[in-house]
Amino acid sequence: MKENIKKRLSNFHNKYYKLLLLIPLLILLFSFIYMGVFYSKNKDFIHKDISLTGGTSITLDKKLDTEELKKALSDKLEDINTRKIYDLVTREQTATIIETRSGPDRAKEVLEEYLGEELNEENSSIEFTGSALSESFYRQLLIAILFALAFMAIVVFIIFKTFVPSIAVIISAFADILMTLVLVNILGMEISSAGIIAFLMIIGYSVDTDVLLTNRILKGENSSLNERIFNAFKTGITMTLTSLIAIVFALIIVKSFSTVLSQIFTILSIGLFFDILNTWITNVSILKWYMEKKK
Amino acid sequence: MVYGKEKMKIKLTWKIWLLIIAVALSLLSIFGMPPIFLQKGVLITSVDSNSTIFEEGLRQGQIIMEIDGVKINNVEDFSKIMQEKFPSEENVKTIITTKDSEYILFSKSPPEITVSDIPKSYLKTGLDLSGGSRALVQAKDKKLTSKELNDLIEITSNRFNEFGLTDVKVLPVSDLAGNHYMSIEIAGATPKDLEKLISEQGKFEAKIGNETVFVGGEKDITSVARSGQDAGIYSCNKIQQGYVCNFRFGIYLSEEAAKRHAKITEELEVNSTSQGNYLSKTLDLYLDDKLVDSLQISEGLKGRVTTQVQITGSGIGPTKNDAIENAEDEMKQLQTVLITGSLPFKLEIVKLDTISPTWGKDFSKTILFAAIAAIFAVFLIILIRFRKLKSSIAIFMTSISEIIIILGIASLIRWDLDLPSIAGILAAIGTGVDDQIVILDESKRNTSLSIKQRMKRAFAIILGAYFTTLASLIPLYWAVAGLFKGFAITTIIGITTGVLITRPAFSDVIKKIEG
Repeated sequence: MKENIKKRLSNFHNKYYKLLLLIPLLILLFSFIYMGVFYSKNKDFIHKDISLTGGTSITLDKKLDTEELKKALSDKLEDINTRKIYDLVTREQTATIIETRSGPDRAKEVLEEYLGEELNEENSSIEFTGSALSESFYRQLLIAILFALAFMAIVVFIIFKTFVPSIAVIISAFADILMTLVLVNILGMEISSAGIIAFLMIIGYSVDTDVLLTNRILKGENSSLNERIFNAFKTGITMTLTSLIAIVFALIIVKSFSTVLSQIFTILSIGLFFDILNTWITNVSILKWYMEKKK
Repeated sequence: MVYGKEKMKIKLTWKIWLLIIAVALSLLSIFGMPPIFLQKGVLITSVDSNSTIFEEGLRQGQIIMEIDGVKINNVEDFSKIMQEKFPSEENVKTIITTKDSEYILFSKSPPEITVSDIPKSYLKTGLDLSGGSRALVQAKDKKLTSKELNDLIEITSNRFNEFGLTDVKVLPVSDLAGNHYMSIEIAGATPKDLEKLISEQGKFEAKIGNETVFVGGEKDITSVARSGQDAGIYSCNKIQQGYVCNFRFGIYLSEEAAKRHAKITEELEVNSTSQGNYLSKTLDLYLDDKLVDSLQISEGLKGRVTTQVQITGSGIGPTKNDAIENAEDEMKQLQTVLITGSLPFKLEIVKLDTISPTWGKDFSKTILFAAIAAIFAVFLIILIRFRKLKSSIAIFMTSISEIIIILGIASLIRWDLDLPSIAGILAAIGTGVDDQIVILDESKRNTSLSIKQRMKRAFAIILGAYFTTLASLIPLYWAVAGLFKGFAITTIIGITTGVLITRPAFSDVIKKIEG
């Protein structure tokens, strides 16, 4: 029975693997178009939060009605945004975050007036980033990602020494990042500097499974090509699912608590999800094509 | 524990020993010997450098075990005793027993020290977890060279020291775009002091007419009185909106500055007033080009080479206490710039973060909880997928030991664990689990290869993944003024110990279990 399913699966894959490649190709095509439109509209690749545009973020250790707060202050502070922070167990609101593009002194003054009390180190945290600086940070983070991709590509070429398998790994990693970026933008997430780091982490996680796959296929023993792919899949999917579930678990816990960590985890889970697609369809199909041709 | 069980059956290989030793050393680095969490007492976080107890030798970092023979276990015990004893009408005796010596004090008020509970480990958390202020500072309208930056840092550190702020870290940072910044971190939150000390250049000039007599800094000023008879507040007056309090302190001029003073005053005329005879021009004190005070120069000083000069100024406030406090602050600041001289550039704070210390405590707990939940989830998945309890426990233990080793190294290199560092640890553990799955899977496959050959294959994959991850992290080390350095550092430590120590040991354990 099991053998039978395996065989049918194998036949199916032999017949359709090139066609399967269409799925990621279409998503990639859509991603390029989407990003093109997005860029021409926003003059940027992402929606940036204030850690990348510059501005002030104030965390108040108290319960406040965020909607009301936003309404009351919106004509006094530039681009105001409010958020609640919850306690993990009781689900009770423990803090309020106010973000604005105004400077820290102005923001503090307006809030103090609204609350009727002084803000000090005991009841609040204030983070301010100047706009020129955040602009420069943003550029550097983009450069860091480009360099990371380039270094990764060089290492992959050194390891496998053959063109097609290496380029397949690089394409998968790139597709992971691009598809994640598109979904993040569709969801309307405002990316912080830490969020960009998450994209960097995707490179690391994504390459793991690709290296495993390519290694098993190129340096495989006497078993058939499909056998090798299937074995790599069994290992690789366990790796990705384990990471994915661990990250989702962590995400649930930090979600209400830390915007920085929850953004990292959200982006990582999206990235890992696309990695399943890109490793086991994109990369597998290209590699199989290459191996079949080589015969 | 797994390794313990193994020991009963089979000999431990050197790789497993290496892991055990690494974990043991890491625990030692995190908790010390004897473990710091077993230590009783309170830790001294600061000692006023003008106090008697400081002169007696009590210092920051020492641990108070007993007061007047009563054992102190925590801060509550300490404050309870202090509240019972002070303030008192007359001098009372206090015996403070630290780990290695005893200090005896007679006073009406409590000793000028602050204490905290002894930390549970030697791990240090970054500002975003423990609270404090951090500023990134740049020169206004000027790109600094690294030499200029180093000069700036020296003067600024000096300024913080003179101002009496300890536990301040002033570091040069540069980023991928070639910008140089000065990063200032203060534990605990004192953003006001921080802003005050760097938002002003502190260019001090004393002028008579248009001629400069002396400027701040050691070239013209040889010493500044900080306390005692020669420095302090000498009068307070009620004004319309509150109080104004006046301070004064003495300074000593260098020979050269004193001669300049003589030369300039020589040419001035003497005016007679009802209060006495003064020279026709005043000595004007400017701080950052703003007039702070104008002093009458008495007739006797005309043409004299005098090295001793009084500096005066004032502070205001709605109540008398506020005014005194304000005047004291002003005086301290003026003394500081007179000693250290002015900063070579106008500065600009481009990033300022102030994190409330109350915030971080819950945070660390949540992160710990998240990490445990994540590792437990991994354990369950492995158990379900491979249906092997021993191997699953081995993965679980390996991940835990990786965390311990990363934390151990972080503690050893005194790395402050901030949020990016913690994300980095999670990333390292994640790839670690991935690699262990590769090892476990290779070991299970029914091939003609020996287990040794299969492990070799597993390591080809692991090393490939290692070098690609390593390469992708390198740019981060320099980007963004080092704000994400922590992520790069913990991930690199994690994946490197993984490849060199924990995974080889894990593969040996698996060989024993599966082999």
